[in-house]
Amino acid sequence: MTSSDRFGRFAFAFGPTFAVLYVVAVAKDWALFTVFPSLGIVLAGTHHSRDVADPAMGFLAPAMYWYGWAATAALGAAMFGVVAALLAGRWTQAIWPGWVWVIPALSMIACVYLTMPWFRL
Amino acid sequence: MIIHGLVAVALLGAVTHQTLAAWASADARPGSFIGRFRSVPSASFANAVVVLYAASTLLGGIVYLYFRVDVRPEFERAGHWHVLGFFDLKEHFAAIGLALLPAYLVCWRRPHADEPAQTRTALTSILAFIVWWSFLTGHVANNIMGFGS
Repeated sequence: MTSSDRFGRFAFAFGPTFAVLYVVAVAKDWALFTVFPSLGIVLAGTHHSRDVADPAMGFLAPAMYWYGWAATAALGAAMFGVVAALLAGRWTQAIWPGWVWVIPALSMIACVYLTMPWFRL
Repeated sequence: MIIHGLVAVALLGAVTHQTLAAWASADARPGSFIGRFRSVPSASFANAVVVLYAASTLLGGIVYLYFRVDVRPEFERAGHWHVLGFFDLKEHFAAIGLALLPAYLVCWRRPHADEPAQTRTALTSILAFIVWWSFLTGHVANNIMGFGS
């Protein structure tokens, strides 16, 4: 077993897992951290502007979750990818390689669904 | 912002050429446009696409901070909700595309018989879609206050 085989298994596990976990993180609002760019602070976990400022003043402290969602998904996908890399090749050979693009494509469709509220305003 | 745009243009060219070459018919005449287009080794684009995509996402991630504080409130005041929706999709797609880069690189660097060309072509096509979506959405978001105001 070569290191490039291991990297291949890691890569083929990481991409689809990230895509699924990213959708879950967006849907459930699971950000590993929250960025408040106007205040220049980063808080661990998911925090809404109303948690740190008066709701009427929320626009002064806009919160950003995208970095935190991506970090949540990356952390989970990295752990799954390491497990896949350590598995023997015969365990992973039975898995259809097409999942590496089908799952992300489905996740992108799920992202469209989660973004629909913007288009109803 | 300008550097982000320039990197995006280079990425757009590389990934579009690679995608079209991957989809082009293998039995194209050697002297034809398609044949010459396809004769450029597509695998040679893979490293460039990975580096440019990562650089573009990093720069976009930095610019996004300023967008959230200075630009988005203006869009909200102007009622450009569709643009904000398309922009959110751009961020979602860009993150998913970034995570696909390792698998994309593996597919192009060492194609195996048990990894059909279909997988490589599909991954490249998804990345091309994401890059085109991000480029067009970012471009419109950058210019829309000029159009609408």
